[in-house]
Amino acid sequence: MGTGSLGRTWPAKNKWQIPGGYENGENINSQSLPIPNQKNGGQRTVHVLHNSEQPASVFAILEYGNKVVPLIADRLFDLVILKMTNVCTDKKQTKIECKGPRFELVDFCIKLGSVTMTQNFKGVLVEIEYRPSVVPANCWELIREFVQGFLGSAVSSQIPQYLQNRMNEIYQPMDTIHQYLEHFGQYRKSTGVI
Amino acid sequence: MEQLQISLSALKVLRSSVGQVFYSLANGIRAEHGEDNKENKYLLELQELLTTVGTNLRDVEQAVNSLNPPPGPFNLGNTAYLGQETTQDRQALYGTLVNVYKWTDKAHEYSNAAHQILSQNSLKRSSMNSNRAKRNRIQTGAHNFSPPQVDQVMASFDRLYSDMSISITRPFTSNAVIHVTLGHVLKAIIAFKGLMMERVVVKSYNEQLDLWSESRYKVFQRVTDHAHATMLHFYNPNFPELTLKSFFAWFHSFISLFSDSCKRCGLYLHSALPPTWRDPKSLDPYHFECKP
Amino acid sequence: MAAPIGTAMDSLSAALKSKIIPNQEYFLQGSILDSAVEVLLHRLRGLCDNVDTGPETFHDHEMCFSIRRGPPPELPLFLRVRRALDYPDMPWQLRYIGQPELGDKSQPTVVRSSLDIATSNTVVEFLTELGCRLDFEYIIRGYMFRKGRMKVTVSKIFKMNQGKLPDGMEPMSQSYLVELSVLAPSGQNAIAEDIRIFAEQLKPLVQLEKINYIR
Repeated sequence: MGTGSLGRTWPAKNKWQIPGGYENGENINSQSLPIPNQKNGGQRTVHVLHNSEQPASVFAILEYGNKVVPLIADRLFDLVILKMTNVCTDKKQTKIECKGPRFELVDFCIKLGSVTMTQNFKGVLVEIEYRPSVVPANCWELIREFVQGFLGSAVSSQIPQYLQNRMNEIYQPMDTIHQYLEHFGQYRKSTGVI
Repeated sequence: MEQLQISLSALKVLRSSVGQVFYSLANGIRAEHGEDNKENKYLLELQELLTTVGTNLRDVEQAVNSLNPPPGPFNLGNTAYLGQETTQDRQALYGTLVNVYKWTDKAHEYSNAAHQILSQNSLKRSSMNSNRAKRNRIQTGAHNFSPPQVDQVMASFDRLYSDMSISITRPFTSNAVIHVTLGHVLKAIIAFKGLMMERVVVKSYNEQLDLWSESRYKVFQRVTDHAHATMLHFYNPNFPELTLKSFFAWFHSFISLFSDSCKRCGLYLHSALPPTWRDPKSLDPYHFECKP
Repeated sequence: MAAPIGTAMDSLSAALKSKIIPNQEYFLQGSILDSAVEVLLHRLRGLCDNVDTGPETFHDHEMCFSIRRGPPPELPLFLRVRRALDYPDMPWQLRYIGQPELGDKSQPTVVRSSLDIATSNTVVEFLTELGCRLDFEYIIRGYMFRKGRMKVTVSKIFKMNQGKLPDGMEPMSQSYLVELSVLAPSGQNAIAEDIRIFAEQLKPLVQLEKINYIR
């Protein structure tokens, strides 16, 4: 499934009566836990994300300097993380949530999420997933054309940064999570919270 | 067989006459014998019955003597095993017999129904030659190729295109079912009868491949329909390899299913579907609605 | 959609409250010499749920990590990662095991909290970057039987061979470790009774009992 996500503030909600599309609500939420410096020095952060497309899994991404280690685990991993948070820090556990309706049109899946960070509205993320294809390079143009159909000229012709090196690899659910994390990171930076 | 029947009936007659003797003995002197000479009449009756028994016995002996003993031990086949385990419960024979009966019944029913439905369609691909001389010779049609020949042909197609790989399985005894993988774009399963294509199912790269279930994506459902149409378009009973060659060339053009735009309208999507139609001659991509 | 969309944490806490998450392990352990293990396997084959093709074998590699939670009086957190060497594509298992509850003597089995989580194969890197330290590792190989909810394993522990030769593994001892365990939500003590009854049936061959780790 090739996916592109675009962060845009997007006002008019009532355009969304696509003939043939149907909706049900979904959400993605994430929690980030910075860990205090240990002997090696450097700031480590663990991001824990849940995606309602994969309800039985928990995604965790550990960032340490330039290293990024992803992990996919069962729902019970949340409990282990809870125990470990006694290890880790106290402060600054920011929670970001992206929640909204989900539409299906033929083989496309469109999700409109409004991003809120601890009750404050930050913006809107639009996620488009083209499910029949597994390699982004094949269908990038196709998705772009589809999105142009309703977002107009606001669509950039640039491939999202995360996907640039991965256009010819098989797409995994973890890639969706990475893209969301990228956008959440941008939201955090814009408010000055890391 | 006749002799056996005769001896068996003679035996029956003997049994019934002996039965009569015991019956009259048990009843003793009855009212029918009248008042006078009851005992004499009774004894006469008994004598008659016993002579009948004697004649019948002679008949039986005669019949049995004329029978030939069987040449050797009987070939019981699998029923010989019945003698080994005498407890009915342990044998589980009844259960399996019932299941076998049900199964053959069902097989009959389904094949009758299938025959009825299939005979309604008078369009057939096989050619029936009613020439008497040729009837005795087995016609080499596309469906009469032997498995090693089919394997060879498929291996040559596998080598022909570098991004298309073909693997052969035979889940239904001698008829081949091939799995075709086209790059990372799609997978297809094609069922054959000899070298003649019977059925194609096209699915996405990450779906489970199976002859009976359709793809869950609309685009691949369309491609499956187009594949069936093309399969019939290219059908030629006299040149099965040419049929296959043209079909695979057409199929290979789907490597650009998501990356090419329609030749006529220039767009990638038409009602949210990519160009799924490939012109059989030029292999140009078109939307189904835009096809020339 | 009219109904409000719940978050993942909501459903998890709801599940915890209704006690459907198996987070306690009830178990008993014992050992048996190599010479007697065949007899034990035969007995287990008879007692346990029928496995037509012979008992299931497993060949796993287990690594134990610990991470400090705070200054010394605090006990470190122990985590175990297990992967199947005979099925390299299966998910890896992350296990959190708590301290066994010090008991009352009336408890027939040892009870400790445990969480079993399936993960992708990047879990070792994840834990090391998180700050966990590898305490020890070993290879374990044996048979697994099932009886109802109970899992019985008869296994041998091997030392890790640096040269990575699978045949040159050195066993740690001349005996097999036998374990009986059940994973269940907290508060189901009847299960402990079941385990004890099963253990009685293995009595003369192997003595399964609560082992006091502190001692």
